[in-house]
Order: sequence, then structure tokens, then C-alpha cells
Amino acid sequence: MTSASTNRRRAILAAAGVSVAALTLAACAPGGGGSTEAAGGTITIGTTEQITVLDPAGSYDNGTLAVHTQVFPYLLNTDYQSTEVQPDLAESAEFTSPTEYTVTLPEGLKWANGNDLTSSDVKFTFDRQLKIADPNGPSSLLYNLDSVEAPDDTTVVFHLKAENDQVFPLILTSFPGAIVDDEVFSPDEITPDDEIVEANAFAGPYVIESYDFNNLVSYKANPDYKGLLPPAKTETVNVKYYTEASNLKLDVQEGNIDVANRTLSATDIEDLRGNDNVKVVDGPGGEIRYLVFNFDTMPFGATTAEADPAKALAVRQAIADLIDRDAISEDVYKGTFTPLYSYIPAGLAGANEALKDQYGDGSGQPDPEKAAGRLETAGITTPVELNIQYVAERYGPSSSDEYAVIKDSLESSGLFTVNLQSTEWVQYSKDRVADLYSVFQMGWFPDYSDADNYLTPFFLPENFLVNHYENPEVTDLILEQAVTPDPAAREALIGEIQDKVAADLSTIPYMQGAQVAVTGTDVEGTEDTLDGSFKFRYAALSKG
Amino acid sequence: MTAAPVTAVPKRRLRDRIPVVHQLRQSVGLQRGMLVTGLVMLAIFILTAIFAALIAPYGFAQRADASGSFGSQQPPSPEHLFGTTVGSYDVLSRVVWGTQTAILVVVVAVILSLFIGVALGLYSGYFGGWLDRILVVICDAIYAFPSLLLAIVLSIVISGGQSSLWGGVLAAAGSIVVVFIPQYFRVIRAETVRIKAEPFVESAKVLGASNSRIVFKHVFRNATRTLPLIITLNSAEAILTLAALGFLGFGIEPTAAAEWGYDLFKAQSDVTSGIWWTALFPGLAIVFTVLGIMLVGESLNDLADPRLRGRRRVAQAAGEVAATSVVPGGALSAGPGGLSGLEDGETFDEHGIEVKR
Amino acid sequence: MSTFDTVPLAEGAPVSGRPKPKSQGGGFGRYLLVRFLLIFPTIFILVTLVFFLMRTTGDPITAAQGGRLGPEALAELRAAAGYDRPLFIQYFEYLGQLITGNFGSTLTTSQPVIEVLATYGPATFELVFYSLIVAFGVGIPLGLFTAYFRDKPQDAVFRVLAIYWYAVPVFFAGLILKLIFSVWLGWFPIAGRASVGAELQMQTLPNKTGFYTIDALMTGDPEVLGDVLSHAVLPAIALGLLTAGIFLRLVRTNVIGTLATDYVDAARSRGVAEYRLLRKHAYRPALIPIVTVIGLQIALLLSGAVLTETTFEWKGLGFILAEFLESRDFVAVQGIVVMLAVIVAITNFVVDILAAFIDPRVRY
Repeated sequence: MTSASTNRRRAILAAAGVSVAALTLAACAPGGGGSTEAAGGTITIGTTEQITVLDPAGSYDNGTLAVHTQVFPYLLNTDYQSTEVQPDLAESAEFTSPTEYTVTLPEGLKWANGNDLTSSDVKFTFDRQLKIADPNGPSSLLYNLDSVEAPDDTTVVFHLKAENDQVFPLILTSFPGAIVDDEVFSPDEITPDDEIVEANAFAGPYVIESYDFNNLVSYKANPDYKGLLPPAKTETVNVKYYTEASNLKLDVQEGNIDVANRTLSATDIEDLRGNDNVKVVDGPGGEIRYLVFNFDTMPFGATTAEADPAKALAVRQAIADLIDRDAISEDVYKGTFTPLYSYIPAGLAGANEALKDQYGDGSGQPDPEKAAGRLETAGITTPVELNIQYVAERYGPSSSDEYAVIKDSLESSGLFTVNLQSTEWVQYSKDRVADLYSVFQMGWFPDYSDADNYLTPFFLPENFLVNHYENPEVTDLILEQAVTPDPAAREALIGEIQDKVAADLSTIPYMQGAQVAVTGTDVEGTEDTLDGSFKFRYAALSKG
Repeated sequence: MTAAPVTAVPKRRLRDRIPVVHQLRQSVGLQRGMLVTGLVMLAIFILTAIFAALIAPYGFAQRADASGSFGSQQPPSPEHLFGTTVGSYDVLSRVVWGTQTAILVVVVAVILSLFIGVALGLYSGYFGGWLDRILVVICDAIYAFPSLLLAIVLSIVISGGQSSLWGGVLAAAGSIVVVFIPQYFRVIRAETVRIKAEPFVESAKVLGASNSRIVFKHVFRNATRTLPLIITLNSAEAILTLAALGFLGFGIEPTAAAEWGYDLFKAQSDVTSGIWWTALFPGLAIVFTVLGIMLVGESLNDLADPRLRGRRRVAQAAGEVAATSVVPGGALSAGPGGLSGLEDGETFDEHGIEVKR
Repeated sequence: MSTFDTVPLAEGAPVSGRPKPKSQGGGFGRYLLVRFLLIFPTIFILVTLVFFLMRTTGDPITAAQGGRLGPEALAELRAAAGYDRPLFIQYFEYLGQLITGNFGSTLTTSQPVIEVLATYGPATFELVFYSLIVAFGVGIPLGLFTAYFRDKPQDAVFRVLAIYWYAVPVFFAGLILKLIFSVWLGWFPIAGRASVGAELQMQTLPNKTGFYTIDALMTGDPEVLGDVLSHAVLPAIALGLLTAGIFLRLVRTNVIGTLATDYVDAARSRGVAEYRLLRKHAYRPALIPIVTVIGLQIALLLSGAVLTETTFEWKGLGFILAEFLESRDFVAVQGIVVMLAVIVAITNFVVDILAAFIDPRVRY
């Protein structure tokens, strides 16, 4: 989830940069389409996520995205178990000039309510995103979009500010990419949930049949769906919204619901793994946890009394040497989070294990002697006092245990004394950007599954972390990868960025979350949709 | 609220004038049983808090000892009598250390609300005027509102969302204070209004005593006699509020202090996975402590109310004790005091005190 | 408490009995009027309090977007939403809205606050209603019982039990009830107000009320009704027992009080049996204070409801208020607070009137 200001900056920088040959997305025909065999059955899904606002212009959170994914059409998308962006609703999508991205739609598309789905809907969607620019909306992701043009019913041309933006197609698959019906939605304000449901303004694999806000949403398969995914396997999907993970756990365990997805506690999942009535399905996760250093206020930071960049770096390196990722993964998360040794989570193109090679004993284990050596070489008297901040609740209930482990692994070396402090989220958000915290926890859930989303928001100057990290080399590399169309060349750049940032240690990434769904033993298809798109698509599920 | 006839009672011995000790002597039979049980439980609670360092086998934030990490969610064993939590803390140690946090909150909450509530009550009751009326209305408004919700908002405001020991303690205590002040205020105000009209205050005025002397020497000493009761009730309330805040996620960071409500909150997912020890013991600690305090409170209440006192001693005590009745956990009387304050500043219910939980 | 009362006595000041309340010219009508008018300052104070408290705790935009946007972007959004304007201007703006009956729309979910109240209010009402049934059903008989067996072991057992109910935090009790009755015994559902099937059936009703009991009746399907009622059992017990303990003590105290009155003595001397005394003479007068106390219990119940609703996924006002607090949705929090304040104030008002009619001795 990218900072608007950072993005804008990148757009300007990139516009001045080299122009690269236009990228063409393979125009393959959308799959499925024809078959209309009636799917049957009912599946009930439980989740602790919450909906905010059904209108895609007014929400920017995963709970609501989970609904959008089922019911709104997207121009581009990824297939099950793939991270390759393909035309979804579109017939083809390509750069027709460095700043023009042209999408063609097939003819005869319809909304579930019978309205025509044409290029005017697409233009309307993006125009209103930019116009409404709701504080809770995702319009900031459209930082590179200048205007949208619909020359005819099946053609849409996106005029971009920066040239050859490799990220723009990815953004069309994410939050602001949900296309809405121009005959139902208001052009200049958020349309209420009930109006959308009543007008049946849907064209995804499912339509919403009944909608009890944040309590129970009932979906029905959309027979007119024409897109990338095969037709829905189950006719009716009911989604029950929970607030307590423990209730969700009990209900799936007792068979009251078929699927529990996002988010059960690690203890619950471990317990359910040993339960024969349910199966636990794991998928790759894009969620990461990392420790941020404020380069101004950390020990020996730029604005402290004893400012010394070399010493500050030694402190960061020593911490990187000491963090016991296995202990966090096993003790606290019971394997639902796995050790992360780089800025980009394993599974995404370009990810490496930069921190494993550079820190610790070289195999991912902590190495207190190495840490002690670093501090000694830098001339630092130990123990160094650290104040580490973390957020209560925001990143799951296990944060306090996670940080107790980190405190232990730092203190047991005798090199650090750690004061832990947890702060409620809103206050935390204010304090961390006001330079009040020297070392603090953050987490990240990607907007779109691409390495860029783990680099641009973090390591450009004036990034959203506001930790005063700046490395011109890294900056240039990040800008370059964003406009490099050749995948291999881009991956090489991305690898280089990770190595360089790992040497600087702006942040220390340490955990990567897996996607875990718990289902009844008769539910199939969960493995298909727990993929690198991080979208849980109900169309894949069926009950035997 | 009948004050005793002047000449009937000689000045009593000290041991009769210390609250609780006096009631203990006064009680009989079952009532004495309840009072003694409550006092014993309370004593265990307080002693545990004082000697936590000696009783607890480990520190509240300790996750490993010389023989290695405790391991997470270990069932009760000789090394860890109550087992360990998901964060590898020793449950017994956290339960024991939790008494300190609880007592801290109780002391801070009760002292603060006592001082502010009594001061405002005395002022309001004695001097009256527009300030009195405003205070009455404000207190009634707060009083009528679900206290836990107020406590949540206040805990965010007070601690700035931070969960250090003092941040947490002050947040819990502070939010309890705001909820309790109206209770002390109403009781003291009503008593003050009543006492102000007593002839002895009139005569003191005639004799030229200053207002402050009258307030502190005469009114204060008489108006505060119902306080021990309210204090016990509020102490119980304070512990429950702290636990509720902890349970709702507004608790204290586990390495800063041990707090039962927070531990219960963390233990929720354990319980559903068959790990009973992480929730049971902190839960029982809350119940035990509150039960102890409430037993004392209930007994004090009975003993203060001649109708409820043991039958045999009624006659003996009737002359010296006001007919005060405080129902733990619930008010015994009608409506907020605000109206009476605005109406004529005099009426109050027949039992003198209203205490909401 | 007799700790201090010897002091003035030692000074020899004569002490009169409790002053008699003044009787007033306006009487009952005036009382009602003042009582009614007091509702407004109460609401005003709470709104003011909550308004300023909430503003000191942060804003909804930081709450929602703090994890993804930089400080400038956040500041821009805050300015666009008008949160950077002077507080007093925002305050009077809000008051102005309120006076015209406009509660505004929630900031995070863009729902009219009125709609939120209409959606979640009935759930809380039902929970409180069922809890009161439990509280009455358990508290009053046990109160009579303990009064009858006063100072005997039976009395002690139930009184300690009553204190115990109060001492167990609602969420702890809820957890244990769920484990025993839902998971082990499987008698009652784990959480929620109805199961998925029943909820879907009720949602198709053309004029659903949000009161699930009523909606279930309207479907005409006994299974739906059974489903709804079985969902209410555990939450009602968890919350109801808390209040039952209070009612028990109240009834006991008052019955003992009335049993000691002259007219009961007179009846007793006429040879009326003790249990009959209890039923005919002591019971009714002892109930009067309970009526008045219900008013005050509303605030207590609503507090307990926050915890009960969270534990049992009972999506009512307390639950949703806690959610909105977390997301710093001022408008929603203020709206709900006003609503709760109105409920409490009106309940107290009505209860006072009732009490006055029931008991002519109530002085005004």
C-alpha cells in the first residue's frame, strides 16, 4: 500500500528517465466463457475481516477487497496459481505508446442486471476514483494515471504521466481496478452499499444476493460472468463475519461453517492441524513483518548526541546478527509465519536471501559472537540500550509474544538491553512519523503481488516509513527496475537492490506470513486459490 | 440517616472506631463467617502482592532460566505449576505478579476518586450555588452512562495508547476515577447537605467558626462515615474494570507488568484449543480477589443496616450506627440525586446512599 | 459506619433526626417536567465530553491509512476531511447538525448513523431484554428464598453465589459457558444471533424489524424461532446472572425490611403463617425498589453488554461502538453515545414515573 507522495515523486523522476520499449501483454482469450453448466451446492465461509464500504472508490482494505474480488470485474488479473498478469475482462491490453496503455474489451459484455458493460463503464470507474479521491479510498494508487479515454465501446486508453510504467498493469488488478456500473454508481460520491446490492451492479464470478453488512453476505454464481477464471464451482456461497477468532475456530471445528479464512490464531491453526474433521491448507503469503530503524533517533543516529553513522550501522548489523527467526516462527507462530531473509518475500520473482548471507551464522541462525565483534570493532561500549516499539493488535494478537522473543534474543547476548513498549495503533501511526520511535515494528500486506510493492514504498527518499534512509544508488535502481520490461534484467536489478539495502539495513525483515485456510474435509479447491495473488476467490471452492 | 442522640453514647474506644475491626467485633454467626472469609481472602491478596518477589518462582516477563527456554504452552508440571503461556511465560508467576498491578490500580483509583469526589462533594453540598448544580448535572450524566465505554475512551486518552506499566495503570485507574467520582460526590454531597442543616453546624456558625473549619472539622468527619463501604465496592469495581480493559486489548504490555485481564485476553485462543491453564488461573485470580473484597463489602453493608444486622446485636448497635445501606453492585434507591439537588437540595432516599456498581 | 459520629456528639451539639423533606407546591407535575428537561443537559454533557475526548485520540484517517501512507499524504487527506480546522468550529458544526436531528454518516463505513442505530439497537435491546428475564427469574425467587432462610446456611450459600456471579467477569463466564455448553455438550450454538440458514430466511422478510425474535415469528417457521432463541440462551445467562445477583440482594434486603415492619408484625401476631406473610405482605412492597433500580441497571447492563456482545459475536450497539472507537470514527461514536444517553435517560424517566405510580409513598 503505497505512499501517494512517494509515488508521485517516482512518477516525476521516472518521467525524466530513459524511455524503454513498450510492453505488450500477451493477448490471450479469456478462459471459461462458454460453459454454462449449472453449479450446485452451498458453502459457508467464515472470516474475521471486516467490510468497510462496498463501493471500490471508498475502501482500501483487504476485507473489502475480498468482496470486490468476487463480484466486480477487473480488466486484468492473474489466474489461479500464477502471478502473471493476464487480460481478465479485457480481450487485450498493451502499451500503444510509452504513455498510452490501451485495453480492448470483448463485445456484448453485460452486468448482472442486464446493463451493457462497455468502455464507458471503465472510463467512468477511473474518472470517479480520481474525482472522489475518498480519504479511505485507493485513488492514491492511481498516481500515474493522467486521464482515461474511451474512443469506442470496446476500447479504453489510459494516458499515463510517466512512461513505460511496469507497475500500472499490476495496479489494474488491485484495489482501484474494480470496474463499476456507470448506470448505478454516482459519479462524484460514494454509492451506498444497499443501492449497489439492490441494483445488482455486479459482473464478477458471483453476485451478491443478500447483504447484511459485516454479518452475513450471501453470494450466488453469476451465469453471465465472462473472465479469466472458470465458472464458479459452487452455486451459493455464504460469508459469515466474525469478530473473535476463537469463535471462528470453534465454528469451523464443529462443522458449523465450511471454510475459515483470515485470520485464525497460530495456536488455533496448530490445534486444527491435529483435528481429523478439518484440513488446514497453506499457501504462499505476501504479508511480512519487519523492524524499522529511524536513522535520526536510533542509537548513534543523526540527531542523537553521539551521532556516528558507522556506529549506528554496527548496531543495526549486530541486531540483524542476533534475531532468532526460527524461535519466532516456531514458538510464537507455530509455523504460520516463516523466517524471511530479504525485503521481498520468497515466492515473488526476484526475491533472494540477502540477509541470510550477510548476517548471522550464514545459515539463518543468530551469531552472538559475530555481533559482539561488530560492536567492538566499531568501538561501542555494551550493552547498548534499545527502545523497541510495537503495535498492540494491529498485526495480530501475537505481536507481544513475537517481541518478547526478539527482546530475549537481543538481551541473551549481553550486548543489548531492550525496553519494549506497545502502543495502540492510531497513536503509533502518529508517533512513528514524528521521530518519536527509534526502532519499531511494522507489517506490510501488498497492494499487488510484485517485488516493486516491497521496494518503492520503503526505500526511496521520503518513503512512507519516514525513517530518513536515503541511498542514491538504491533510489536509481528502484526507479530503473520499474521501467525495465525484460523480466530477467528486472529481476537482476531487484536482486541488486535487496543486496544493497541489506548492507545498509534500513529495515530488518524477519517474518513472512503464509495464507492459511481451514476447511471441512469435503471442501475442495482451496489450494487453487491460495496463491501469490493473495486474493481468495470463492469460485474455486466446491464441496464434495 | 439518623444520627445518634447526643448523650446516648459515650466516646468509644479506639478499637471500636477503626472501620472493619469494629464491624468484625460487632458481627455474629454467618455474618462474621462471611466477613472473616472475605478478610482472609483480602489478606491473601495483599500479602501475595507484597511478597510477590518471594512467592513467584520466576519473573513476570521471564521466558527462560538457566536450564533453557520454558517452552510455549507447556502444561502444568513441577517446574511450572500452572504451565506456561504461548509467549513462554510462567502462568503462576504472572498470576502472582498480577496482584501487584491490581493493587496498584485499586490504590491509585480509590485514592484519586476519593480525594476529588469528596472535595467536590463537600464543596457542592456545603456551598451550593450554580457550581453545585452544574456539578450535579455533570455527575448524573456520567453516572448514567455505561462506565466501561467511558473507561475505554479515557484509557486511550490518558495513556496515549501506550501500554507501559504506569501508562496502563494510570489509564485503568484514571478511567475508573472518572466513573467513580460521581459516586463519592453524590454520597458526600447528600451527607453534607444533611449535616449542614444539623443544629450543631448552625451553632458552630453562630460561634463564629470559619467555613473551612466547619467543613473540615464537622461536616467532613461526619459525611465520610459511609466511605469504607464504597471503597470496598469501588476496589472490586476497579479490578473488574482493569480486567475488562485488558480483555478488550487496552491492557498493559506483558513485559512491563503482569495483568490478569490481558493474560485472559491472550488466552482466548488457547482455551478453544484445549489449553485450559493459561485462562483458568488468571480468571480465578480475578474471581478470588473480587469475591474477597465483595464479601467484606457485603458484610459491612449488612452491619451498617440495622434491618440486616444479626438479630441479637441490633438493639445494642442501633443507637450508634446510622441506617446506611449500600447494596454492592447495585443501587438501592430511586433515581439520580441530581433532581433532588436541583429541586430542594434536601431529599435523598431513605437509606442515605446510592451506589451504583 | 459509626467511625466519626462521636465527635459532634462529644461537643454536645444536639442532633436532630433526619430532616423531613420539604413538600412542594408544584408536586408531581413539576417533578416530571424538571425530570424530563434534565434529559437534555445530560445528553449535551455526554456529547461534549465524547466529542472532545475523541478528538484527542486521533482521527479515522490515520487509523485506517497510517500503515500505508506517508505523513504528507495523511495530512492532505485530513485537511480534505476538515479535521485540521479549529476544534470549536467542528464542535458547533456538529451541535448544529444534532439539533436538526442529523446524526451524520459514519466516517469509516459511510452509513447514516441513524441506520447504524437501527441495525444494532435491536440486538442490544434483545440481549438486555433476555438478560432481564434471567435476572428476574433467578434473582427474585432467590431473594425471597434467602430472606425466608435468613442467616441460615441456605441464605449464606446463595448470597455468596450472588457475589460470585458479580465477581466473575462476563467475558470469563462467557468463555466457560461456551466451552461447557457449546463445545462439550453441544446444547447451544457457540456464538452469533442466529445460524446462517435462519438469518438468510429472515433477511428475505419484506418488513424485517431487526429484532430477531420478532422476525423469526414472522417467518412462521418454528425452527427459525428455536434457532434464534437457542442463540440467546448463553449470552442472556452470562449477562443476566450478573444482574440476578444484584436483584437477589435487593429483594432479600427489602423483604427482610418489610418483614420487620409493624403491619407484618401485626399480621404475624394474628397467626398468619410465615410463608404466607412472605407471599402476601412482604413480597409486593419489596418489589417497588426493584422497579426503580432497573432504570439504573440499564447503564450497568449496557456496560456488560459490550463484553457479552464481543464474547458472543452478538452484533449490537456495545459491540459496534467498540469497533468504531478503535477506528476513531468520531461521528459514529458520538451518535451512538447520544443514543445510549437517550436510552438511559428515558428509561430512568419512565421508571421514576412508574415508581411514583406504584408507590404512593415516593416523595416529591
